[in-house]
Amino acid sequence: METYLIPVEDICAYHHVEINFIRSLEDFGLIHTTIKKQSVFLPIDELSKLEQYLRLAQDLEINLEGIHAVSHLLNQVQDLQDKITFLQNELNYYKQLNQH
Amino acid sequence: MDYIDYYKILDLKKDASTEDIKKAYRKLARKHHPDLNPNNEEANKKFQQINEANEVLSDPEKRKKYDKYGKDWQHADQLDAQEQQRRQYQSQGGGYGGNSYSGGFGGEDFSDFFSSMFGGGGGRSSKNSPFKGQDYNADLQLNLLDAYTTHKQTLTVNGKQVRITIPAGVENGQKIKLPGYGAPGVNNGPPGDLFIKFNITDDPKFKRKGNDIYIQEEVDLYTAVLGGEKIVETLNGKVKLKIPEGTQPDTTLRLKGKGFPVYKKDNQFGDLYIKWQVKIPTNLNTEQKELFEKLSKF
Repeated sequence: METYLIPVEDICAYHHVEINFIRSLEDFGLIHTTIKKQSVFLPIDELSKLEQYLRLAQDLEINLEGIHAVSHLLNQVQDLQDKITFLQNELNYYKQLNQH
Repeated sequence: MDYIDYYKILDLKKDASTEDIKKAYRKLARKHHPDLNPNNEEANKKFQQINEANEVLSDPEKRKKYDKYGKDWQHADQLDAQEQQRRQYQSQGGGYGGNSYSGGFGGEDFSDFFSSMFGGGGGRSSKNSPFKGQDYNADLQLNLLDAYTTHKQTLTVNGKQVRITIPAGVENGQKIKLPGYGAPGVNNGPPGDLFIKFNITDDPKFKRKGNDIYIQEEVDLYTAVLGGEKIVETLNGKVKLKIPEGTQPDTTLRLKGKGFPVYKKDNQFGDLYIKWQVKIPTNLNTEQKELFEKLSKF
């Protein structure tokens, strides 16, 4: 399946953000862009992540190092939430066995 | 509609300076920002209040008006004046109803109190910027058999019909994202996304643990002792199983690939575990008792 790509220039104009901010996010490994015909594009799957980082920077004045740390912690929170769901399902299984 | 004390929300005194307001807002926003509190409705709500308080108190015009009329907003004369001001405000294009956060609230989520005083919604720094629409969240109840097969279902989300494909093997509590099915964007921004959380109800017979299914089947004492066959219902039809002689109670049999489909992996299934529950006969007649007594002497 072909990934839909958005020109990074458009994103910068749309969100009033410098291209350097996006480059720095990529340097930190927080987003991934692609180059096609000498233009930089962002895969659409990455857009919500980028917008989240923009909000963290603009709403909360968090710098890139902070965004990197927050992103890492949010991923950990997500992993823990997934683990909780998995364990809740397991616990439910044993509860059902006891009721049997 | 209740009066909202914006100073209290930001934990400020009435004579707070612009710098104090900014500091208080930043401090509370860092704590309650929806991006830092995913799936936390309470934090979302709190952030809306903080945002609204900041919207009013950080704008000298709005703050002045709030300080003047805020507590007595129900007074008729003042309400009339406010209404006049509101109309004037809207005609100047100030009634922006957008939002700059796509994850949890829209301009329409500003309180009625705010709307009655200032008209329309809020709007933060970039009043005409395009923003992604609000994300929607929906819960979908499925039974275990629904989750066993890939199927289509039509949902009604915010009055719109959305037809979705539910892949086989979804887990209880799992969320899927449908990009673009959220609220329309603001100022030509892209639409938000729809997040669907699956709640899978327990099945009285089939117990699921990951991709494996566990069931308990009764087998009578004679078949357990002498061996035989039994037809067992699985999630995809009936199977005839051989019961070897001398089968012990709670013996578990594994049927490979007869469990639950693995999410988004074609033709991959977990296993089915069948635990034999040997049923001891009750209410024996005299003849049966005598036969058991005879057996016990062997």
